[in-house]
Amino acid sequence: MASSTTLTQQKKPERSLSPWQIARKKFLKNKLAMISSVFIIIVTLLSIAAPFLAQYLSPLPDIAKVNIGSMNIPPNSEHILGTDKSGRDVLTRLFYGGRISLLVGFSATLMVIVLGTIVGSIAGFFGGLVDNILMRFTDLVLTFPFLVFVIVLNTILYGIVDGLWVLIIVIGILSWGGVARLVRSKVLAEKENEYILAALSIGCSPFKVIVRHLLPNVASTIIVQATLIFASMIVVESALSYLGFGVPQATPSWGIMLSSANEPDVLQGKPWIWMPPALILTLTILSINFIGEGLKDALNPKSLR
Amino acid sequence: MLKYTIKRLLGTIPMLILISIVVFSLAKLMPGDSLSGEIDPLNTNPEYIEEMREKLGYNEPLPVQYFNWITGFVQGDFGKSTKYKTDVFDIIMEKVPNTLLLGVISLIITYILAFAMGMYSGRRPYTIGDNAIAGINYIMLAIPSFVAAVVAIYFFSFHLNWFPFGGSVDILIEKGSFEYYLSKLHHVLLPALVLGAMGTASYTQFLRNDIIENSRKDFVRTARAKGTPIRKIYNVHILRNSIIPLVTFLGFDFAALIGGAIITESIFTYPGIGMLFLDSVTSRDYPTLMALTMLLSFLTLAGNLIADLLYGVVDPRIRLD
Repeated sequence: MASSTTLTQQKKPERSLSPWQIARKKFLKNKLAMISSVFIIIVTLLSIAAPFLAQYLSPLPDIAKVNIGSMNIPPNSEHILGTDKSGRDVLTRLFYGGRISLLVGFSATLMVIVLGTIVGSIAGFFGGLVDNILMRFTDLVLTFPFLVFVIVLNTILYGIVDGLWVLIIVIGILSWGGVARLVRSKVLAEKENEYILAALSIGCSPFKVIVRHLLPNVASTIIVQATLIFASMIVVESALSYLGFGVPQATPSWGIMLSSANEPDVLQGKPWIWMPPALILTLTILSINFIGEGLKDALNPKSLR
Repeated sequence: MLKYTIKRLLGTIPMLILISIVVFSLAKLMPGDSLSGEIDPLNTNPEYIEEMREKLGYNEPLPVQYFNWITGFVQGDFGKSTKYKTDVFDIIMEKVPNTLLLGVISLIITYILAFAMGMYSGRRPYTIGDNAIAGINYIMLAIPSFVAAVVAIYFFSFHLNWFPFGGSVDILIEKGSFEYYLSKLHHVLLPALVLGAMGTASYTQFLRNDIIENSRKDFVRTARAKGTPIRKIYNVHILRNSIIPLVTFLGFDFAALIGGAIITESIFTYPGIGMLFLDSVTSRDYPTLMALTMLLSFLTLAGNLIADLLYGVVDPRIRLD
């Protein structure tokens, strides 16, 4: 060890890369993940900017208004993607829809990750009875058929809380089980290390040990999981909205836009209404999954790429 | 193994009780109550309504109501549907064959596709074909099932006219005839194809990796040294070893099919359990809703249990205690 230090010192004092720097380098080299990241960033920016862009996109920037004079217009120079059955511009609604779909996906993911991490780390760190109780509870939540309970809970809470948040809370409450299990198993392995013993022996509180010492070391797993959950949450939102049990009907989300394909007439004769949301939804999910795979690869110290 | 099985089976009982309590509380929390379906809607006399409430047990304390419901439920009495005015049990039983047919056919499709792709990929890893299959599977995994269903209806039903776009059977055909069953199969094929083709990714990749791993093992080398044709080694020796772990996927498929059925059935207007469930939510048909939620939870639980037990059966190295 000593000889190698002297050797490097003779050449040039150089710091080796931190694990995060290595991960970043690996991720930047992954073409598919980078293209996907760019795509997601563009979709996100366009969605955020939707209210400002709307007036430039079409002569009908108001997505809440029904325009009887311009119903079901096929794509033309004025309406690049045409208009839907209420005379609303499809492209404008697509951007607004991105806001809702991404917001619901992101908030639900955040909730799932926070809940799952809290339960998982407490169960894993304290073990024993606490672990047993928390994990049996997790098992119970995991046995609920997800879609069935989301739909039932959504119907109950509908009207009590603002429409959008009902969905986020309901999805969040029902899907943290997987994360909790994952975090627990990682924490169980990690807490056997000496640095945890050292931290405890100098009198750190369990809270501090978990937050400052354990969680940073399981963070990479959580980040990868969060990416994949983000994709599935967007799917859940749009599927529920499609079925009519998601966000309120007046909200322009990708799932709601797609639900117009329920009418055979629209599905068959007016593909410009439902094809754009279908395409953008699929591309978004695909990109997020690629980013997730890229992160998994980049954060895995064993992968050589 | 027997001890473990019994232990697991007993472990599901408290789980079922807890689920039943959750289901009952949720049904009670839902807006409105099912009384409106039980009484004569034209009679608005408050005395009549109060009398009916009393008669139907809505005035009992909640624990008593729960107890009445659960004892009936265990004995197969799911109550009367407030929408169809008949026994919930009969309504569910009427729809079960459709969902079962959809599930079985879609599983068969998944297996056929996954085996064909997995075996091809496993035999020729890192070739163009293998990469293409991985790519296809990746995209299939990313496409939400309802998007796939909509696109499938658009192309196969409307443009190519190959399949009907809804229902489970042609209504004009006489029940019980050969054409009747043919028409049923014709109706189930497209939804099953969508549901089945979406689930191939995990099977294919698992089979591929397992075949690659097994092909490096000693028994393969021995077989080759003895002059067994390569084709036979792959199709018999290796495949036999690689199929076993796949069995454990079956239990999880159970749960996945339930979620899949709700979405697919509603898009294809296929009259099965999933559509009945959505229907019962919108029409506030509580007895049906509760029975179905219990049933679907039970199936999920059973699926997980089967997966766990099969895990031990196929791999005796996993010590269960």
